[in-house]
Amino acid sequence: MSILSTTCPDVGAWRAWLDREEHAPDLTLHLDSCAACQRLVDDLRHNAAVASDAVHSISATRLPSAAEIAIARERLAWRERQPVAAQPAPIPQETTPVFLSRISTPWRVAASGIAAALLVSLVVAFTTEGRTAAAAFLAQFRSQQVAAIEVSPQSQAEIMRTMNTLGNLGTIKSGSATSARPGALRLDSPKQVTLAEAAQQVGFPILTPDPATLPTGMDRTPRVEVMPAQQFSFSFDKTKAADYFRSTGRINVTVPDKFDGATLVVSMPAAVLLQYGGQGNRDALMIGQAGELVVDVQGKVSLDEMRDFLLSLPGLPKETTDQLRLIRNWNQTLPVPIPTDKINWKAETFKGAQGLLLNDNSGVGSAAIFQSGGHLYGLAGSMKASDLKRVADSLR
Amino acid sequence: MRYMLTLAETPDSVAAPIDRFEALFAHFYAELYGLIYRVLGERMATEDILQDAFLKLAHDRVVQERPDPEVGAWLRRVGLNLAFNRIRGERRARARLERVGRLELRDTDQPTDSPASVLVRLEDQAEVRRALAEVPERQRECLLLRHSGYSYAEIAATLGVAVGSVGVLLARAEQAFRATYRRHIQP
Repeated sequence: MSILSTTCPDVGAWRAWLDREEHAPDLTLHLDSCAACQRLVDDLRHNAAVASDAVHSISATRLPSAAEIAIARERLAWRERQPVAAQPAPIPQETTPVFLSRISTPWRVAASGIAAALLVSLVVAFTTEGRTAAAAFLAQFRSQQVAAIEVSPQSQAEIMRTMNTLGNLGTIKSGSATSARPGALRLDSPKQVTLAEAAQQVGFPILTPDPATLPTGMDRTPRVEVMPAQQFSFSFDKTKAADYFRSTGRINVTVPDKFDGATLVVSMPAAVLLQYGGQGNRDALMIGQAGELVVDVQGKVSLDEMRDFLLSLPGLPKETTDQLRLIRNWNQTLPVPIPTDKINWKAETFKGAQGLLLNDNSGVGSAAIFQSGGHLYGLAGSMKASDLKRVADSLR
Repeated sequence: MRYMLTLAETPDSVAAPIDRFEALFAHFYAELYGLIYRVLGERMATEDILQDAFLKLAHDRVVQERPDPEVGAWLRRVGLNLAFNRIRGERRARARLERVGRLELRDTDQPTDSPASVLVRLEDQAEVRRALAEVPERQRECLLLRHSGYSYAEIAATLGVAVGSVGVLLARAEQAFRATYRRHIQP
């Protein structure tokens, strides 16, 4: 660069000129007559080519698809709904244990799949096998075991779109099961308690892991939170649905009167969450424990009609409904949607009960879910799947 | 039950009106993914950074109301900061992991290929990122932005510098990168 004279354009101008971002007309003329600038431009051009090739080599092989973007949006919406946790105290860098810096990964399962799980749970409650006549109380789903439902990114997006459509056909409500606040559209925040208080609030003993199975250096005392029981309901509204059909050009669609007021009620039990470690970049382990998830159906429609309704919702992917139909004990099985592009899974036995062992594709985070003794257990942590299984098996 | 089957044909265009944040998310997500992936080289890590960046945007109504180019610059700035902060944290953690021999393989989001060629490609990419890491931060961001296809005006808005400064910043970045990269591949 030292060869530049005061009359020569500076290096920035030449670099911009190479990118056609500098439009001064006299630059080209100057270049024709200035050997120093010619050497400079050659050098700049070569540097740029090296950088361009290098950056190109580290580019993504593909950008996210529309379906993956929709899933990312849903995950973000899920995060936005989470209560803001108190800022943890700063952790001195030197005392940070070494194991992991990506605790967010295992919870991706919940983030991307929780809403899908809800819909899938509703749908599974109305498969063919459940044909029993009823009036006010038509069907009941009670989770007693778990089953994996593999969902592709495309399927996840389709399921989420289907969920969104529900709001156009009726009224969705959620809130505390005990307070049953009408119109509440948010989940209650968890409350921090002691283990004894948690057991008292949820009505069953809380299991804790054998401390020897926890990662070295992890605090053996968990932070305990109780998530109150929640209830979600969807009431079909004939007038609203008819308006929706009209607005979407479906003027020939008619909805039988008996669908009006038909209601699905999903009761999510109170849950306890034990959190070990996990602040900043430290190891983390979370153990959730809950009672059974129950789905009721109320109204005048038959089970067959409701089943047809749910299975014909727009965009519910065939691959998902096919898997749901294959579940034999559909009214006792909680389907767990697993995004197969991100999560590996296998059936595994925990404490003598059948469950699912999941690990993300990086092999760093893992999760487990199983039902035992009438209670649902979920574990996730920054550890190998085999280590997490040891923790699960040690729950007492 | 044929009447219900017609629902399946509902077009997306009749969905609820898209608000400002939804539009920004849809507009910038893929673009920002491409940029941040170049920094991190890992799909899940990239998605995590994008989540954090868009979460910040969701909580900042003032930024959302700005014109799209300004929001894009803001997102790139936040995303790059988060990504490089993550790298710094991981570098420290990685050093500790290597010391205790607990390093595990990471996912790479690369197409299926023979193990040998994958290894070579990963090593090449690692060399590029190592060389980039030695370029001064502002220059490095300028280089990444330019070779990710951003205009000088967009780079200037992202880095908070004058458009007229981008050329010289880029020239210095490329010169520094070339020298560093050459040293890495020809020790």
